[in-house]
Amino acid sequence: MEQDERKEALENIELIKEMVFQTKKHLSHYGLGWISIIWGIFCLVGVAGERLLIAYVIPHGTLVGLWWLVLTIIAGFGTYLVYRRHLKTEPIKPQNSSFRYFASFWIPLFLLGFTLATFIASISSLSPRYISIVMLLIVSTAYIMLGLTFFKEILYMGIAGYASSILCAVFFLQWSDIILGAIFGLGLILTGLVVNRQWKNI
Amino acid sequence: MEEHLTVRLNKAFHQKARLGIMSILMTSEEAEFNYLKEKLNLTDGNLSSHLSLLENQKYIKIKKQFVKKKPRTLCQITEKGRQAFREYLDDLEKLIRSLP
Repeated sequence: MEQDERKEALENIELIKEMVFQTKKHLSHYGLGWISIIWGIFCLVGVAGERLLIAYVIPHGTLVGLWWLVLTIIAGFGTYLVYRRHLKTEPIKPQNSSFRYFASFWIPLFLLGFTLATFIASISSLSPRYISIVMLLIVSTAYIMLGLTFFKEILYMGIAGYASSILCAVFFLQWSDIILGAIFGLGLILTGLVVNRQWKNI
Repeated sequence: MEEHLTVRLNKAFHQKARLGIMSILMTSEEAEFNYLKEKLNLTDGNLSSHLSLLENQKYIKIKKQFVKKKPRTLCQITEKGRQAFREYLDDLEKLIRSLP
């Protein structure tokens, strides 16, 4: 009798865990595919623009920092639009606290990124190419954190990004923007396409 | 005499379908009827009766909307429901610990 009660209680706990996990997974997909694609384009366009600015316009970091800031605002706005569209069409809505959690996760990371970028830009002996390395290291950190919680694809993307950023900073600084832009940009776009395909099966 | 823990468990939740409904609603702001039906593998009638029971106890609220002329039934947990479900989880945990 007691064994049956225990078994039933344990089954109930398992059911609760499973439902909570599935719901959180569904909610965490909220436009994630399209958001990955937006940030993939952000990387490709950002790095291309940075290279053009350094080569033809002004060879120090101030304009490069501004360029990344403008792009971040545009990509951030795009992310918000995707999220809002999902809020209207999805059969399940995240708790209001989720958006605060989301904001409290990404905003400090980007603030850290811009502080470091400004710091690098202000030191004339440091190459402005380190700015994109710092930005991409921060994006990788975010993806590792998200990947550890939900999606392996994003975790691998974060690890690959982290390793390639460090390798580029040490061995291929001159070409780092092109290499990292390609890895991150194409990687994020690919991740977005994979997530969008998986999304249909949830 | 102390009440047996199994007796104390809230019967409104101590059933697989309602447990599933409450777990989903605890984790989200609101969920559509069809989403719950699909996730919990229930029929329309079956889900409706479970939702009615929870609504009668004021553990959930049910709203009906029209989006592009299509009816949409949304379910949301109430503060009373959230509190009662937390107590249920505590009781469930105590029950598991109390058994050999």
